[in-house]
Amino acid sequence: MIRVLIVCSWGMSTSLLVDSMLAAAQEYQYELIVEALSAGEYLEKVEACDVVLIAPQIRHLRKSIEKLASSVGKPVAMIEPFHYATMNGRAVLEQVLRLLPRNTQEGKTAT
Amino acid sequence: MSGIIERSSDWFERYLVPPLSTLASNIYLQAVRDAFIIFTLPLIIAGSLFLIVANPPFPFLADLVSPYQYAILVPFQLSFGLMALFLAFGVAYSLAQYRRTEPVQPGVLAMVLFLVASVPVTDLTTLRIGDILPYLGGQGLLVAILIGIMTTEVMRWFRGSRFTIRLPKSVPKNVTRAFEALIPTFLLLLLVWGLEWFVSSHTASVDGKDVQLTLPILLMQVFKPLVAVQDSYPAALAEIVLMMLLWSVGIHGMNIVTAIAAPFWFTTLASNATGGHGIVTEPFFHIFAHLGGSGATWPLVIYMLRSRSAQLRTVGKIALGPAIFNINEPVTFGVPMALNPLMMIPFVLVPVTIVTINYFVFAVGLVHVPIVIQPFTVPLGISGFVATGGDIKGSLLQFFDLAVSALIYYPFFRAWERILVAREEDASQREAVEVPTPVKVELG
Repeated sequence: MIRVLIVCSWGMSTSLLVDSMLAAAQEYQYELIVEALSAGEYLEKVEACDVVLIAPQIRHLRKSIEKLASSVGKPVAMIEPFHYATMNGRAVLEQVLRLLPRNTQEGKTAT
Repeated sequence: MSGIIERSSDWFERYLVPPLSTLASNIYLQAVRDAFIIFTLPLIIAGSLFLIVANPPFPFLADLVSPYQYAILVPFQLSFGLMALFLAFGVAYSLAQYRRTEPVQPGVLAMVLFLVASVPVTDLTTLRIGDILPYLGGQGLLVAILIGIMTTEVMRWFRGSRFTIRLPKSVPKNVTRAFEALIPTFLLLLLVWGLEWFVSSHTASVDGKDVQLTLPILLMQVFKPLVAVQDSYPAALAEIVLMMLLWSVGIHGMNIVTAIAAPFWFTTLASNATGGHGIVTEPFFHIFAHLGGSGATWPLVIYMLRSRSAQLRTVGKIALGPAIFNINEPVTFGVPMALNPLMMIPFVLVPVTIVTINYFVFAVGLVHVPIVIQPFTVPLGISGFVATGGDIKGSLLQFFDLAVSALIYYPFFRAWERILVAREEDASQREAVEVPTPVKVELG
């Protein structure tokens, strides 16, 4: 199972991306949980996820999010603005897979 | 053209983004914003519905409900009308979340402290609730924000200091937590109560009546001129320009400006709900300026659907559904508008023009001023009618603004389309002669 946390501003537009990512995950047969939270809410959830993604419209918070995520050893990256715009769940899922450490990737098939 | 576009993008990235980012990532602004959006907005929206029912837009309905108006207003007064009370909780809670400390205790304490600050120190059995009600709502927002911030910061300081009650490790965590909070809770209560007692030993003249002074009344004297300044055309212009500059570099502009302006918007809106004529409120931007999303990009979506550029057609198809609900991230990052020096021009110019038109339309009373808050996702047409408390001219104004937007965007859209089509043709030609280098569509 892969748990993805997307940090965004109000979660309205990100929910569209989440749906698209889940559809892509089903196609590739990955067990995926995606949660989209605002910059105030994500803090408590960082430890319980595998990957942190940052929506393009809050890139001003990038440094503080990266700092927190790396302090608990979670990979973190910005979502490509164009992938975000076109709600390209497949591309973002691929980005998630690239970010994951190898052992987590192997672990997910067992669960 | 492409060269200029890339060079100015670098310039924005270097000189415009850093100061805007610093402003946007301020922790207090974020906490205040979250407090408004998460904790008070749902109550304000629900309460607004009762306000509409109590003041129906049609005369025959108004006659029908007038004997029950006081009763219908009760849920409004105790939700919308108490927004500052909930805001105090929200600010303390959100800030504690950002500070990564326990949020509920400061939240609840902030509500108590806010009540202590708003009620004059007197024999409470003789106090009329109607006298203090306005200061628990629209007129108490500033006090609520200050108390919310103070509560969380003081509690956090005590938690880390040696002035806290320590218990042996064997004591359960929740018990320890309650004791830890005891000293700051008591001290804060003492402080606010003492201050309020001193303040309420003075009297003030409010609406020609002499009343006991309270902290909200006192702060409102300071705040009122600022609220008046904010409710003006230059302020509206400054706010929309800041919003769109932020969006132009790809940062959520509405989000950041809301954090700064919300206390003013909601003070003005609350006064509108009781017969005031303020213009620069939250619906003034969300409902009347950001048609189809920030930047009034609705017409662009229509243009894109039939564009000659494959990129724009793709974006247009995806952007159509969200646009109905005023969400336009597909447009902002797909066209893209953000960091695209060509499209940034109308991206700022269109909302500025619309805000200018609307300000004067509201100022001369052509359309009823906004009194109702609704989710920004309510579609165009309906939202203008509801926001004005049932003035059909509110919807007409939205459609007029939409036409203005369509007109201004058109030449810029065509110019950008030409650039993209040229790039796409270039790319496909290079593919045809099998140049091995990978080609991707460059985004400004």
